[in-house]
Amino acid sequence: MNAIDRLAQELAGPGGLKPLRVLAASGQLGYGVPEPTLAAGLARKPHVLGADMGSIDPGPAYLGGGIMGTSPAVTRADLTKVLRGARALNIPLLIGTAGTAGARPHLEATLQIVRDIARAEGMHFRLASIRADMPRDLVKAAIRAGRVQPIGAIGDLTTADVDQAAHLVGQMGIEAFQRALRADADVVIAGRACDTAVFAAIPAALGYPMGPTMHMSKIIECCSICCVPGGRDPLLGTLEGESFILDSMNSERHATPMSVAAHSLYEQSDPYVVREPEGSLLVDAARYEALDAHRTRVSGARWEPAQQLSVKIEGAVRIGERAVVLAASADPRVIANIDAILAGVEKTVRELAPHSGSEPYRLHYRVYGIDGVFDWKRAPEPLPREIFILVECIAASADEAKSVATVFKQYMLHHGFPGRLSTGGNLAFPFTPPELAAGTAYRFNAYHVMDVDALEPLFPVEIETL
Amino acid sequence: MKLTELARVIRSKNAGPTTLTLDLMFHDRSGFDRACAAPALSASAIAGLYGVPVERVQILPYPPAFAIKIALDRRVIAGDPGDRDVYGAQQHGPLLELEL
Repeated sequence: MNAIDRLAQELAGPGGLKPLRVLAASGQLGYGVPEPTLAAGLARKPHVLGADMGSIDPGPAYLGGGIMGTSPAVTRADLTKVLRGARALNIPLLIGTAGTAGARPHLEATLQIVRDIARAEGMHFRLASIRADMPRDLVKAAIRAGRVQPIGAIGDLTTADVDQAAHLVGQMGIEAFQRALRADADVVIAGRACDTAVFAAIPAALGYPMGPTMHMSKIIECCSICCVPGGRDPLLGTLEGESFILDSMNSERHATPMSVAAHSLYEQSDPYVVREPEGSLLVDAARYEALDAHRTRVSGARWEPAQQLSVKIEGAVRIGERAVVLAASADPRVIANIDAILAGVEKTVRELAPHSGSEPYRLHYRVYGIDGVFDWKRAPEPLPREIFILVECIAASADEAKSVATVFKQYMLHHGFPGRLSTGGNLAFPFTPPELAAGTAYRFNAYHVMDVDALEPLFPVEIETL
Repeated sequence: MKLTELARVIRSKNAGPTTLTLDLMFHDRSGFDRACAAPALSASAIAGLYGVPVERVQILPYPPAFAIKIALDRRVIAGDPGDRDVYGAQQHGPLLELEL
């Protein structure tokens, strides 16, 4: 019997479904799941264990490069903890956005760790994997049919963008997880997925009301961040039907009505509406009531099924190889003239180190102390005592980027300018070499929403028995 | 009065790689009401501070948390060449100087 049918039997009561307990182990698996609070959560006998493992937030290098943002050792330790916990209780384990970005290499690397752990621990279970790489011909056909729209300030998606993307993924919703569970999976490892879908798939399949189901999922996917003080400890959501209870497994983190209400703002452009592939969550009429000093009960969220199914798609394209120079200055005259110095050095470097590719290499500067973090339109007054200068080169090859950085470093050190006193050198290097290769550079070239007729063909499920 | 004297949280963060959001949270209703009415927190004032067109700025009061959510276009997509803040978590600087 599959997990959904088993839970349907277990939770059937005379007056409807009994409360369902969903334990969220981590908002980003691979950065360390606190062991004592995970154990406290497992002791509450959850019906479902879930964890989110990725996001688009860390930027395009992970999606583009097919690499994980988390350390292999900590990732393996976290996966071991949740696998042991779920298998000991014989409850389904669902993990979304495997390996930071959820494309094929991230999913495969995560599956390999799971297989290794199962072998080492002598665990036996049915493992489902769900691919999230978008079929490129289908996306191109959707572009031609006018079914792809940008999300925010990004241009229209072109068929060239689709061809050039190193990886192109779509965010799956609850449907894909439910399909994997109905195929009798014990553990589901998904590629790119909506963070809510990990936690909502089972309650939605069991028939709990969708408003509270999705609202609870949206909150618990971040674990105890909705608490005061916020943190990464596991969070238990108890879905009662039209309401749910939030309970941090760390007794010092409290879910209060205010802290939970405020969480609706977190990383959302609209605190009242959360759009998902299958519909929209509306929390404008949500009520937050303290159950005690530690727990809050939430009700009132509504769900509006989508008229049109859609999928958010994300792509990243390689734009070259990156090298950087790390330098600093404490000379007031260098600090006052830094823009002119950088422009002068760039002119020299472009003459001495011509580009080999079809396009000129890119040079970007961030001068910390002046405008390294924010594009202030004017320099501070007074000027800072010290500045840090990050010079970035993106070139066609790693050798060229490194070579440009090396030449830039030397000419910036000795660049002459009117009024210069420090003729021994303009810069302090924290260590040498101060020019470093920084790997392949990517940018997002797809962040769009695509209307689709069916979700199932986009997110294929595969099952293996371990 | 400075915004920093009225608010208990002033933060920034991406909502996806193309959108920057600014969250202002207040201790109580009166602080929230005062901020909602302040011209310094109008869409046009925020557009000026962040260098984006006014029609690309949304101001969304959120009374359940005595908070105001501001959503605007990022001028550089997160992680694009020349970006200064991939997560957008340090873009609240201009708000710290605001007089209401």
